[in-house]
Order: sequence, then structure tokens, then C-alpha cells
Amino acid sequence: MATTLEAPVVRSGRRHRRRRATIVTAALAIIATCLFVLTMMVGSFYVSPIDVVTSVLGLRDDPTNDFIVRDLRLPTATAALAVGLALGLSGVVFQKLLGNPLASPDFVGVSSGASLFAVSSIVIFHASSAAVSGSALLGALLTALLIYVLAWRDGISGYRFILIGIGVSEFMLAIVGYVVSRAQLYEAREAMTWLAGSVGQAGAGELRALLVALVVLLPLALVLERPLRTLELGDDTAKALGSRVELSRLALLAVSIVLIGFSVAVAGPIMFVALIAGPIAVRLTGPSGSVIASALVGAVIVLAADLVAQHLLPTSLPTGVVTGIVGAPYLIWLLATVNREGRGG
Amino acid sequence: MTSHDLRAENLTLGYADADIVKDLDVQIPDGRITVIVGANACGKSTLLRGLARLLAPRGGQVVLDGTSVQGMKSIDVAKVLGLLPQTPVAPDGISVGDLVGRGRYPHQGWFRRWSTEDDEAVAAALEATGTSDLEHRNIAELSGGQRQRVWVAMALAQDTDLLLLDEPTTYLDINHQVELLDLLTDLNRASGKTVVLVLHDLNLACRYADHIIAMKKGSIVAEGPPREVIDAAVVTDVFGLDCEVVPDPVSGTPMIVPRGRHHARAEVVQTLA
Repeated sequence: MATTLEAPVVRSGRRHRRRRATIVTAALAIIATCLFVLTMMVGSFYVSPIDVVTSVLGLRDDPTNDFIVRDLRLPTATAALAVGLALGLSGVVFQKLLGNPLASPDFVGVSSGASLFAVSSIVIFHASSAAVSGSALLGALLTALLIYVLAWRDGISGYRFILIGIGVSEFMLAIVGYVVSRAQLYEAREAMTWLAGSVGQAGAGELRALLVALVVLLPLALVLERPLRTLELGDDTAKALGSRVELSRLALLAVSIVLIGFSVAVAGPIMFVALIAGPIAVRLTGPSGSVIASALVGAVIVLAADLVAQHLLPTSLPTGVVTGIVGAPYLIWLLATVNREGRGG
Repeated sequence: MTSHDLRAENLTLGYADADIVKDLDVQIPDGRITVIVGANACGKSTLLRGLARLLAPRGGQVVLDGTSVQGMKSIDVAKVLGLLPQTPVAPDGISVGDLVGRGRYPHQGWFRRWSTEDDEAVAAALEATGTSDLEHRNIAELSGGQRQRVWVAMALAQDTDLLLLDEPTTYLDINHQVELLDLLTDLNRASGKTVVLVLHDLNLACRYADHIIAMKKGSIVAEGPPREVIDAAVVTDVFGLDCEVVPDPVSGTPMIVPRGRHHARAEVVQTLA
């Protein structure tokens, strides 16, 4: 059956695709690192890139720099990086699993569910940071479960999942509005700031939870990428290829939901990042690219949006406002083109 | 090709609230082309999905080489038995080479990803389906006929001895239908691959099938070589169609000519009356 003549041609095609994906991913990693360092350089007091790096890595003792870099700026920069990675990864996994560019967790209500639980824990229970993380995670899980159950009919169709997800999202946001309206003035203000989504508000406990989740789940996502490549072809094809469809899908959804839950606990619902990171990454790497590329695009977007929000505008804004301004036109464009091409289903 | 024995024993299959296939026994002839025909909703696609263990049986079992497929590891079944579903999904912007390569999934592991064997299988699949020159093209740019050949190439890259195809000709024009069926016949004759197809076009089914299975309401009404089992009575029973069956002028296989209520020539109407 083998025609050895052509195998080298196939191999070179495959290597070409992989090379492009690898180069783009490496470039994204470099850009994300540069933005990460840049975030710690600028502010009311300029710190040189060398000083940032030596301070973060603890290579030299310089109390002034260490205070500014490590104590003041590193938490925000780390939060932006971690939240971006989490949003980018979970967004692209949802989109690939459900075969639809609209299917990102912030669009279908998983983020809203996390927000509802986190806001409730802040406003009603005056919860500690660990409890806020925990309740955001619980909110994300329960919301996803609710959508899954409501959308289940002999399997999951992407289109039904999205429609029900949007409904659930509105439902959750309505309750968030109610909870906020019942709150004391100070807490309501705090909750509203939180809901706009900002990496600057990260609490140390929530951030630590997200970092641990990333360290465990990023490698797991890489492992699960193999079955994900079959799931993209539809359930029947995936099963025919010998993929364990239900198990893989459950694991992939769990990874995404945990990351979304923890990232919402850290920074609130930063809109549109999960929605746009995947399509941008696919455009850059080609469809053979890894989900890691999308995670890095997410990190670049959040880091850049935070830089713009904090330093380039006359007054500093929450990160979510900047991503919203960039993301909303994309969403409108997406809705218009998806409908025109009839790919909505 | 090693020989294989795929059969259904007392197989009952269904969805949410209804049994579609009831208590069915069938054996797929090894190394032959088997075509399943029947009216809409007769359970032919359901049977195919059941045979490829895409659908868990409600009763009975599907047996591959003496073992129930439900008890086998998915990946082991996928090395022997491939299936091309009715509506496979191509990810946005994916290239032909990448898509066909994904057919190698069951032969790769967590650690052993790409080997020369994989590249050879992909090259052979592209070659066999005449899609080698499309390797770098985006699936979305291809015509319906080309796209269907690429999907067949993906199923071929899986390199299974049994290949099941669910209505592979549905969206193709007559020329591409014949082209695809010729391609499957080539594969069957060249390598002894066992091919099982669901087809709508009864005339093409009769021409290309070594073994035809006619289904009605979830049961098998007739099965065997088309020349022996397809006649006007069977077609009327299976499809509810009043027709005549004449020899196909090209192949001599049964050809179905529907009567309908209009357009019959005067002498035909008289012989009927």
C-alpha cells in the first residue's frame, strides 16, 4: 500500500505547517514576555528593563527597585499574564469542542455564572479571597453543568449549547444586577468595579490559586490536544478514529471551566479575551497550531490592554473596558459573517 | 489484508424514545462491497453506525472477529474498522494534508506521534484518491467532489481493512457519484478492502454492490447479490414504489424504472390495463 515516493512530500508539508506554528508560538511567547517586563517598567517611577529582570529573578539586592517591582508591580503583571493565558486557553478549547467561533465561555455564560457567585460572596458573605476563588469556580462549574444539561439531547450540538448559554448568561447577569442593587453603597461600588474586570484588583490568594491551576492544567491541555484534534471533526468521526469522545470532552471542558473560574476570581470577567484569542491564534499559526498559541495570544491581549488602560489613557480604566472596546466590534463582525456564511450551526 | 468477520447478532439500536433497528442479524461478507439500501428512516444509517460502534446496542451485539466490539478498546477497533460519517466536520481553514493526517490518530500514541509509516499512509491515501496535488489547499476552497475524495482519503489514511461509508455520494452530482464509487471499487479490488456503503441511488447500488442489503422498518427484507435478490416485488415492498426492473444496458445488473402516474407511453399503459 505504501508509495514511498510521496512520503517525503507529505513529510515536508507537515513539517512546513508545524514550523510555521512553532515560529509563531515562539514569537508570541517572546512578545508576551516583553509586555510582561514592560508592565513592570512603566508607571509613576520608571525602572529599566535590566533592573526589572534582575529584581524579579532576585539576582541583585536593591531595596527601592525590589519594592517597586516585586511588591507593587509584579502582582498586577503576573495577574495579567496568568489571566490572559487562562482566558485564551479556555476560549479556544470551547470553540474547538463546540465547532463554533461564538462558543467562548465568556459569551455562553460560564463567566457570568462565575461572576454571580463571586459577587454574591463579596457582597453577601464578605468572603475571604480563598472563598471568592472557590465560589467563582463553583459558579463556573454549576453554570456549565446547567447549560450542558439544558442543551443535552442525545449529544451536544454547538448551536443549541450557544443559544442556551446566552440565555443562561442573561439570567445570571440579571441576578448579579439584583445582588448589587441590594448591597450597601460601598460594597455595591466595589462589586461594580470588580464586574468591569481589572487585573489590578488581584488578591494574592486568588492569584496563587490561578497560578497553581495553570501549572497543572497547561500541560494537561497539551496532552488533551491530541483527542481535541479528532473531536474537531465531529463526534462520529472522532469515535470512528478511536477517540474516547465523552471522556476527552469532559476533561477538556473541566480544564477550561476551572481556568475560567479561577481567572474570574482574580480579575473579574474581562470580556472578549476568550472570544478573540482563539481565532487570532488560528489566523497566525494556521489550523494546525496548538492551543498554547491561543493562550499566549490571550496573555498578549490582556497585558497590552492593561498597559493601555493604565498608562496610555488620560485616566486609568479597568482592563475589561479596553478589551470590551476592542472586542465588541469583532463580535459584531463575527455575528454578521457567521450568519452570512450559514456557519451558525 | 487479513480477513475479518463483522456481524450483528440480535442487534437492536435506537435513539431517545424509539427502536430504529430491531433484533437484526447480519454478516458483512469479507473482502466484498456491501451496499445497504432502503427508504428514508428505515434504519440503514443507524445500522451502519451501530456496526461501527458509534451507537451502543440496546440489545444484542456487534461482533468483530469473534469479540463483541462494545468490550474492545476504541483504539483497537479503529485500527481495523474505519467509518466516514454522513456529515463530517472540517475545522475552519484546515488544509487537506492536515485533515488527511488526522486519520492516523489510532496508529499514534501519547509518545509516538509521527513516523515515516504515517507519512507513507497519508501519501498513499492522497495518491489513491487523486488528491495529492490538493495537499496544501484549504478544504473550504474545494468543490464538493474534491472534498468528498479528501474525506475518503482521511478514512483511507486510517488504514483499516474494513471501511464503512454513510451516504458518501449524497451531495455529489452524477459524474462525481460514479467517480467515487469507481474509486471505492478500485480500493476493494486492489487491496481486498471490505467496503460497506449506505446509498440512496438504487441503480448505482445494484451496479456497484457485490452484496446488497435491502432494509425496511429496521429489518432486512432481502440480501444477496443484486442480480439474485432485486426484482420489482422487492423494490415495491421496500420503497412502496410501483416499478419495472430491467437489465442495466451497461452492466446487466438490475435497473429500476419507476412507473409513476404520468408520462407512460400508450402501449405500456395498455399492457398494464
